Amino acid sequence: MSTPYLELRGLGKSYDGRTRALDNVSLTAAKGEFITFLGPSGSGKTTTLMLVAGFESASEGDILIEGRSIGRVPPHKRGIGVVFQNYALFPHRTAAENVAFPLLMRKMPKAQAMAKAAEMLGLVGLERFGGRYPREMSGGQQQRVALARALVFDPALLLLDEPLGALDKNLREQMQIEIKAVQRRLGVTTIFVTHDQSEAMAMSDRIVVFDGGRIQQVGAPLDIYRYPSSSFVARFVGDSNILAARLTDPAGGQAEIAGIGTVRVPALPAARAGDAIELLLRPECLKPGSGLDNAARLTVDVIVHFGDSALVTGHAGGTPLRARLEGLAAQGISAGDTLPLSWATSSSHVIGRDAAG
Amino acid sequence: MRGLLLSLGAVVLAFIAAPLLIVVPMSFSSAASLEFPPPGWTTAYYGAFFGDARWTQPTINSILIALAVAVLTMAMVTPATFALVRHRFAGKSTINLLLMLPLAVPHIVIAIGYYAYLSDLRLLQTFPGVILAHTALSVPMAFLVLSASLKGFDRSLERAAMSLGASPAATFRHVTLPVLWPGFAAAALFAFIQSFDETVVALFVSGRDSMTLPRKMFDSIRTTADPVIAVVSTLLFFTVAALVILPMLWRSFSRSRS
Amino acid sequence: MDEAAGSPAVSRRIAPQRASLRPWLLLMPLLVFLAAFFLVPLAQVAMMSVTEPEFGFGHYASIATDGFYLRVLADTFATALLVATCCLVLGFPLAYAMAAASPNMAAAMMIVVTMSFWTSFLVRTYAWMVLLGRSGPIAALLDWIGLPHGELLFTRFSSTIAMTHILLPYMVVSLYAVLRKIEPSLLRSAASLGASPTSVLRHVVLPLAAPGVVNGLTLVFVLCLGFYVTPILLGSPREQMVAGVIGQQIEEFLNFGEASALAVVLLASTLIVLGLYHRRFGLDKLWG
Repeated sequence: MSTPYLELRGLGKSYDGRTRALDNVSLTAAKGEFITFLGPSGSGKTTTLMLVAGFESASEGDILIEGRSIGRVPPHKRGIGVVFQNYALFPHRTAAENVAFPLLMRKMPKAQAMAKAAEMLGLVGLERFGGRYPREMSGGQQQRVALARALVFDPALLLLDEPLGALDKNLREQMQIEIKAVQRRLGVTTIFVTHDQSEAMAMSDRIVVFDGGRIQQVGAPLDIYRYPSSSFVARFVGDSNILAARLTDPAGGQAEIAGIGTVRVPALPAARAGDAIELLLRPECLKPGSGLDNAARLTVDVIVHFGDSALVTGHAGGTPLRARLEGLAAQGISAGDTLPLSWATSSSHVIGRDAAG
Repeated sequence: MRGLLLSLGAVVLAFIAAPLLIVVPMSFSSAASLEFPPPGWTTAYYGAFFGDARWTQPTINSILIALAVAVLTMAMVTPATFALVRHRFAGKSTINLLLMLPLAVPHIVIAIGYYAYLSDLRLLQTFPGVILAHTALSVPMAFLVLSASLKGFDRSLERAAMSLGASPAATFRHVTLPVLWPGFAAAALFAFIQSFDETVVALFVSGRDSMTLPRKMFDSIRTTADPVIAVVSTLLFFTVAALVILPMLWRSFSRSRS
Repeated sequence: MDEAAGSPAVSRRIAPQRASLRPWLLLMPLLVFLAAFFLVPLAQVAMMSVTEPEFGFGHYASIATDGFYLRVLADTFATALLVATCCLVLGFPLAYAMAAASPNMAAAMMIVVTMSFWTSFLVRTYAWMVLLGRSGPIAALLDWIGLPHGELLFTRFSSTIAMTHILLPYMVVSLYAVLRKIEPSLLRSAASLGASPTSVLRHVVLPLAAPGVVNGLTLVFVLCLGFYVTPILLGSPREQMVAGVIGQQIEEFLNFGEASALAVVLLASTLIVLGLYHRRFGLDKLWG
């Protein structure tokens, strides 16, 4: 078993000795991986980032890079690049001076440092902005300077703390692409913190879902989306129907859902008849008509048209249900209608059991 | 109703401004009295001020004392401010109150105290005595200004510097100090002006050799109608104007540059 | 959350962070200095009030019984109240005008107020001596109108108006600080709900401005109590304020004990007012 590039080992953090901001956070990452810490505010994702950067010290556990412990190393010796939420560009220095700063701190001669800084600014598309001060630049431009500054000294790790929160939608999507491109080009191992699940889905090699100071699930974006290990993850990542069901035939994969009746579910040989389970059904898996394995009749409460799709909210015999239909298929549906829907068993997932795959 | 308030406001503004402006023409008055409008005009009294050691010496004294006070105040207030703004510990609110205490005590009260105390220390009517007293009185304002500046300081700048390889000392030198500088300068300026203008304590504590400008002015106003007072007032007024308006102009100038 | 997941059975108490010595080291120079060069002289005043020329509370007794002292104290309080009220009456329209004005206009007005604030009160006192003097413009104006006026200077009137002028910036700044926070949309919505301009003033503006009013009144009152220079230079010699009497006791009579006792009374009054304010609002609100 080769040494992982980055390892977080049993990290714990408490500020007052009683409540834990972080509990037993463990993780490994390979070189060049793009990992996202995803979770709501207060879930511990930013705290973990602060521990890795060295701005806070862990109460328990350790952090290792290439097998070497850095838990006790002060932040200015860790060689980790950080992009902050508010960019934290030095207001009294130009963009080029900002980017050259880490090189000067490493005793590089000034001329050489400025040249390298100019090169880095070119990489992020800001060749002509070297002489500008932060207050003379837009949010997106400051962002890119912050990125260049964090990368110019070939860091062992790149950390980004919700860097795109202040940008508008178009700029944000553009920056997502740019950050990913720069990261792939330089091959730097990256940890990206966000609460925006679509952002996490779009950018990551792997997502780490945080809640309540603990890691809830780690996996590739699609795996987390299709096979969440808890209802929290299921709800946090993507829209969902989480249906309470009772197993009638565990080995054969059959269960009862109130208001819908008997449905087929993925087989759970280890379970027992009568067990209560939570069945995840993504709204887009519900298709109109009756062509697939399972059927339900949805009484429509509200329908919202987005053009390319429509979200139909309602209930099936008392059980709340939502379906996302294609735009054309949703034409003519109005509140009060009863809509026949069906879904494939393979598109559903029993939460918390057997992560299929 | 609104119009009434606004016009009253204008009147009050005039009320505030008029007395300030009246000293300027008085300084050019040819009469050795408080007569206004002046019977004649002359610049003689300006010459009288600059040529008379009994006025220029206290002025120089006041400047030197104020400089020393500013330096001494900032030397002590700066680390204290960092301690109070950046650290958590018991007793903070008590210390805050203590630092504000010189503002709450009427100057006449502490002036008596200084009179007796500095006399015991044989520092009465000496430069060090005045400097020490004025420093204590300058602490509250300097602390308020500096702590406001420090509280508004973005700590992520320091974290960024450290993540980029700057040691704590280098961070302080390259990031904290330059960014904090305007607040620091403002606090020092407040300390300077506080000391320069301070009258009551100076009356009791400064002597013939360490006489401050306010003391000389007070004695002058009390005993004679010396028009040089108008000259001093005008000079002080314009100095203050320069100190107040210049930073404002500079700030709006640098803002318009971006 | 599932407590059993991943945690070993051994108790895992997390150690809290150690209290550090560092802040105290940073504070030491200032604290020592203030103790030595402020607290000690202050304590000395209190000491002298009961030890000069001999041990006893005689000075306090004399203050409590002497008609002269009582009158001086009463005059001082009355004057301070009067000045505070005048500052409020004058300051409110100005602060209101500043809050309602355009940003540039408000900045210009603020410059005037700031200039007055920073101009030494000796200069301002002198200016009032010129204004109210026998051969000054006010006297000339009143003569021209035909109003008999007598001596304007060296009266309670001249002292009050000068102190009002000097302390006005404090009131204006306190009021402006709260008034400018009132969103115009708040006033507009009140109007749209049917409130007349007077009602808006009474029911919306004044209640929101109340903290600033209390701030300003407290500041001005407390500062006025201890005023020394202005009442001496242009107040009435027959209606002195307590600070002047304290100074007189030292300078003319070298009566340290009596002066100290009066000083303690003055200080106590100031601290009581500030203490009441602190109890109700918290002192940190006073200087914003």
